Amino acid sequence: MMISAYILALALAASQHDAASPTPSATPTATAQETAAPPASPEGGHATPPATADPARPAEEHATTGGAPAHEGGGEGEGHGESPAQVLMHHVMDQPDYRPFGLPIPFPTKHLFFLVAVMLLVIVVARIAIASYKNGAPKGIGSAIETLVVYVRDEIAEKNIGHGDGAKYTPLLLSFFFFILFAALVGLLPFSGTSTGNLSVTFALAFISFLAQQYAGMSKYGVAGHFKNLVPHGLPAPLLIVMIPIEVLGMFTKPFALMVRLFANMLAGHMIITALLLLVPLSAKMSGAFGVAMIPVSLGMALFIMCLELLVAFIQAYVFTLFSAIFIGMYAHPSH
Amino acid sequence: MEPTGLAYLAAGIGGGLAIIGGGLGIGKLAASAMEGIARQPNAAGEVRGAMIVAAGLIEGATLFALVIMIILAFK
Repeated sequence: MMISAYILALALAASQHDAASPTPSATPTATAQETAAPPASPEGGHATPPATADPARPAEEHATTGGAPAHEGGGEGEGHGESPAQVLMHHVMDQPDYRPFGLPIPFPTKHLFFLVAVMLLVIVVARIAIASYKNGAPKGIGSAIETLVVYVRDEIAEKNIGHGDGAKYTPLLLSFFFFILFAALVGLLPFSGTSTGNLSVTFALAFISFLAQQYAGMSKYGVAGHFKNLVPHGLPAPLLIVMIPIEVLGMFTKPFALMVRLFANMLAGHMIITALLLLVPLSAKMSGAFGVAMIPVSLGMALFIMCLELLVAFIQAYVFTLFSAIFIGMYAHPSH
Repeated sequence: MEPTGLAYLAAGIGGGLAIIGGGLGIGKLAASAMEGIARQPNAAGEVRGAMIVAAGLIEGATLFALVIMIILAFK
């Protein structure tokens, strides 16, 4: 599932990479294949959010070698002649073009690099967890993973899909859960980006969820039966005329909501962190001493928001997985 | 009143309005969740789970508005 997500995200990201221009204020570009992101496409840099890093930003951008701890952007000012808004845009929302990270091979985009990295991380962690089973009980990281896996299987899959189908969809739900969780957590590290903060990545995830929902309905009831199950039986005709468009539209808006919810949550968190840390150079422009005094204040706020981000990472992973399970259950066992 | 200025203004005002709606919604949700937990402490786990789900939905709606705001502010 993640391989297909990667291919899908790669295709979408490549299409927007060709069309996108690096500066935020460029003319709006026409993206060919972004079906679900028309609202985001006019943005010059393209729809993607937070490349975290606040810690990364000042260090990367100003190329300071002062050995400054990553948070310290204070007093440097805007050496590049960019306004704070542009800095925010460039480093929080947009994805820089290539993100080799010292490796000779350039990835097309930063978020794509982290998509692959998180995918590999999830696989590695899962393998380690499986290998740590001794006498039927896991040790170490396996126990933490097992807690989450059992939670997803029992509380999310069984409760919402149930009727014996829970086990069939549990691997998919687990993939969603761990990928989103790890992507968010990795995004909090310095010099990294949140791949789920990219509309293409969340579109790929939501698309796979959509496919799973359709598969859930069609594998049980056939193609026609799946669509017949959308509306309750025995409805009077006027009500049917209203219900059918609503249900069909609902089939598409539900994954769309999943996509936007995850994207916006990841984006908003990182934008806030960057904005708070940008307060330091901003106030340093007014007067150097004020800038220095701002450092503990904005650091404190940014740390608080980062803790909130940890919580949000878990909650968003849980919510995405839960809603996917609910929707799959709705189509697999329509209880109308 | 050039369009760019209006767009920024709209982004700012819209952001404020959006958060009013989101804040009110989650506030009401939290209030009734607190009440539910207070009435039946042994149902706290279920109430908490339902609260998180509803909060996710409300946040989702608020963040739809946020995305529009971001587009307005940065385009």
